[in-house]
Amino acid sequence: MSEQLTTGEKTILKGLVELRRKSSADEIAKITEQNTERVISILNALAVRGIVKLETREKISYALTDEGKEYARDGLPEIRLVKALEESGRTAPFEVVLTKSGISPRTKGIAMAWAVRNEWAHASKQGDTTILSTIGDYSKSPVAAALESIAKGNGASIQNDDPALQQLLERKLVSEVITKIIEAELSRNYLVHAEDILADLTEDIGNLTPEMLSSGAWKGRKFRPYNVGIQPEYVNYGKKHPYAEFNDWLREIMVGLGFTEWFGPYVETEFWGHDALFVPQDHVARDVQDQFRVAAPYDHGHIIDKKYYEAVKNVHENGGGTGSKGWDWPYHKEVATRLCLRPHTTPVSMRFLYQHRESPQKMFIVDRNFRSESLSVTHAHEFDQCEGIIMDKGLTLRNLLGYLTAICKAVGIEKLKFKPGQFPFTEPSVETFGKHDKLGWIELGGSGIFRPEVTQPLGIRDSVLAWGIGAGRLYMAAMGINDIRDLFSQDLNWLRRSYFVR
Amino acid sequence: MIVECRINDLLSLIGEKLTLEQLEESLFLLKAEVERIEGNVVEIEVNPDRQDMLSTEGIARAVRSFLDIEPGLKKYNVKKSGKQIIVQPGLNKIRPFICCSILKGVRADDELIKEYMHLQEALTSTHGRNRKKASIGLYVYDELEFPIIYGTEKPEKIRFVPLGYEAEMDGPGILAHHEKGVEFGAIIEAHKRWPLLYDSKGQVLSLPPIINSNDLGRITTETKNLFVEVTGTHLLTVQQALNIITASLAERGAQIESVTITYPDDTVEETPDFSPEQMTISIEDVNKLLGLDLDGDRITRALERMGYGARLAKGEKVRVQIPKYRMDILHPVDIMEDIAIGFGFDKIQPAMPQTMTTGSVNPVTRLKNKVRDLMVGMKYLEVMNYIMTSTEVLNERMGRSRPVVTTSNPKSRSYSVLRNSLLPVLLDFASKNEHADYPQRIFEVGDIIIPDESKETCVDQLPSVCGLVTDAKVNVTSLMTEIGFLLRNLGLDNQFEFEASACSDFIQGRSASIKVRGRLSGFFGEISPEILNNFGLGYPVVAFELFLPSSLNGT
Repeated sequence: MSEQLTTGEKTILKGLVELRRKSSADEIAKITEQNTERVISILNALAVRGIVKLETREKISYALTDEGKEYARDGLPEIRLVKALEESGRTAPFEVVLTKSGISPRTKGIAMAWAVRNEWAHASKQGDTTILSTIGDYSKSPVAAALESIAKGNGASIQNDDPALQQLLERKLVSEVITKIIEAELSRNYLVHAEDILADLTEDIGNLTPEMLSSGAWKGRKFRPYNVGIQPEYVNYGKKHPYAEFNDWLREIMVGLGFTEWFGPYVETEFWGHDALFVPQDHVARDVQDQFRVAAPYDHGHIIDKKYYEAVKNVHENGGGTGSKGWDWPYHKEVATRLCLRPHTTPVSMRFLYQHRESPQKMFIVDRNFRSESLSVTHAHEFDQCEGIIMDKGLTLRNLLGYLTAICKAVGIEKLKFKPGQFPFTEPSVETFGKHDKLGWIELGGSGIFRPEVTQPLGIRDSVLAWGIGAGRLYMAAMGINDIRDLFSQDLNWLRRSYFVR
Repeated sequence: MIVECRINDLLSLIGEKLTLEQLEESLFLLKAEVERIEGNVVEIEVNPDRQDMLSTEGIARAVRSFLDIEPGLKKYNVKKSGKQIIVQPGLNKIRPFICCSILKGVRADDELIKEYMHLQEALTSTHGRNRKKASIGLYVYDELEFPIIYGTEKPEKIRFVPLGYEAEMDGPGILAHHEKGVEFGAIIEAHKRWPLLYDSKGQVLSLPPIINSNDLGRITTETKNLFVEVTGTHLLTVQQALNIITASLAERGAQIESVTITYPDDTVEETPDFSPEQMTISIEDVNKLLGLDLDGDRITRALERMGYGARLAKGEKVRVQIPKYRMDILHPVDIMEDIAIGFGFDKIQPAMPQTMTTGSVNPVTRLKNKVRDLMVGMKYLEVMNYIMTSTEVLNERMGRSRPVVTTSNPKSRSYSVLRNSLLPVLLDFASKNEHADYPQRIFEVGDIIIPDESKETCVDQLPSVCGLVTDAKVNVTSLMTEIGFLLRNLGLDNQFEFEASACSDFIQGRSASIKVRGRLSGFFGEISPEILNNFGLGYPVVAFELFLPSSLNGT
């Protein structure tokens, strides 16, 4: 237990723990055999340290007035009157009954009025004489009962809207007394220490100590039980980011399917970003509306392999002997060396192929890409892509669909629809749609077989299947996130609450 | 690209009763997608490779062949008009190519005129590269006096009433004031003479590629016969654009007539030319790429459903005739994809290949994961930030002036540069969470990007870790203990040292650099109050940043 507690504080806490609920200072005083003032002062000290939570509320009780006390002792005047009437043969002159009842003349009006109003007695005139006769039963008067219970100190059991109580108040037989009640309970964070408090104060073993173990002093003694049924407190320990964990999970799946992870730079030359992928140099994807250009401190990079550069240049200009017509358009080194932030992870696939030209190969990457977008609910300037390639002899379009099915199944999407698509670097190209439990058909990503114009400059003749899935989109679907900005939320409270479970 | 069609018009062009579901399904299998249906209007997304489907007529043509209503190569009858276009010298470096056609008996109601304009815009923006490579003009044929001259003129001498205006303007005036002049002027502005199209009476047809004349280039519901011209810098693009728009107009029953174009070197061309290009593909190659077992007949049928002409040739080959409105066929693989589409993507069964490889994560990922585990073990919470940030965060608030990779076209200053350090990014993160419970212990493992001219892309990309603690009271000694724990569990016991430093990020006397095997690998300390102020942080902060070169792995 981290808190240093005085004996007095321990006693009070023990009382509170034993009561096992929110309790008033009076109740604690009773169970701990302390006086209420001392209990309140100790509770205040504990509250300041956050060990207990105090709540003050007002309690209304009722006390008898002098008149009320008199009636409680002697009986209500109307009852005494009717009783005397009964003893006088049920019909008698008022004056006779009054004398017989012994009530003071001061209260005769009250007695008469309530006896009539309660329909216990009927009054009639015979000349100058008022004659009373009984008509009802007075023995079950609720007012008398209420008066009696307040007198006995059981007023708390009466509802404040009880008509009997209201009558007593109206007749000023009782008055309201407002008292402040201080109630205490262990604060939520301290609940877990409750058992320690008890352990300190009883003969049962609370903390098992090394000394007890070596001396055997624990033998034959009881261990004080913990209250293990309570809800544990909320804490902020360390943990991984849910989106990072999702990406870890994607990596796990890819490795399981036999793919090797690869990396490439965020800042790319357009040579790797587009040229090597047979994207024409005047394609709209290279426009400033689409991708980020790097302006400073350097706006152009270097060509590291002249031979490969020439091969790519030829493919663009005239097909380069690949059987293609090429773009029939001049190819510029200025464009090739221009620096951009990579708009997709496909240049990484090309860098991998550049270094691995022999079949079979399977490579993947889960990493960041950049597009010149304004940040909004649906668009972001950064997004993660999970991309892979498979190179082997004799791979076909059917194999591509097979792999897509296996990958989507691994991430939990069973039902797929394939649509012919279009990407400058693949032919055939496929767009994959998956059936999501809640969102219906969602677009999962693009794929295809690399064009000969893409692979042959590297001397690669085997088929290369390539596919990409939007990791962020998949994560948003899995987590029910609608705002793309939540992927990189800077709200610490949100992160502390969020988790990824698979 | 979105094409808007009127549903009744599209269905009548298709000419067979289709439900909207059948239409949607066919389009899906044809690479196009129905985006929205509202009343009689359907919005169809067309992929940029299918420029020939950028019109209602083009979509209807594709659906007709795909559904076997009219399979095979579409024949367009072209009659020679005998009309002449004369290209004058001087256009070689400006806009050398022109192709034209005449369409007689064109249907033109208001809706159709709007659609023709859309097709023209769509074609010139993508295929024509915003009119740079090709631009299109339509004219009232009956107003023209042939031959038409395609020549050049000094800008100030060019005078005509541009489309949408009532008063005459000169060349510079059009570029300065007409909306199209402002938008596309840059294409010709630098030249001393600008291209000009005029007829034998001296009437100006247009200032290509900017704007048509209001007198000759305004198509109305009265217009019966059209003259179409495409000019540009790339002959193939110009021809294809003409073929696409001419074929589209002919789909509504107009008769195509060709014109003769004479270049200054006496080369003569007759346009439009719809004689199909030929390509021969081998049946084996088709099946090898698609993984199917199609015989020649099925391949031929699939091709015909995609609008090709096809017949079997000797040696297990198929001779393919490519329609002239297709501009996306560069290689036999492009035809093979169309065979797959014609066969039906929905009929292709996925097959898992037997390619046997063993997978692994990258060593850098493994190192990053190890560091993340250690940080979590020390009760840090992982955060993830954008790679892009601002110089304000990286340099100004930090009092730093380190070089940073800067983009030329950011959409917002907040995301305009690449982070060159994680510490400022995490301070920025903390500054947004003053309301959250303390202590706050956060970390990020990610890459930082440092300019380096010697590298291929002129940057060095370094994996790093940054840990940050903020609370009412912070303690440099416990931070040091944690860094020690981290480094020792990376196998670097006795290989690192802390060296007191006077880095301006930190309070003097409370900061040090981290050296691993004698190399500067990071830094730590208690953040200086000035920087806390700059970030608007009200609680003290200790933090460290450590670079994670892959050489750290496996040591």
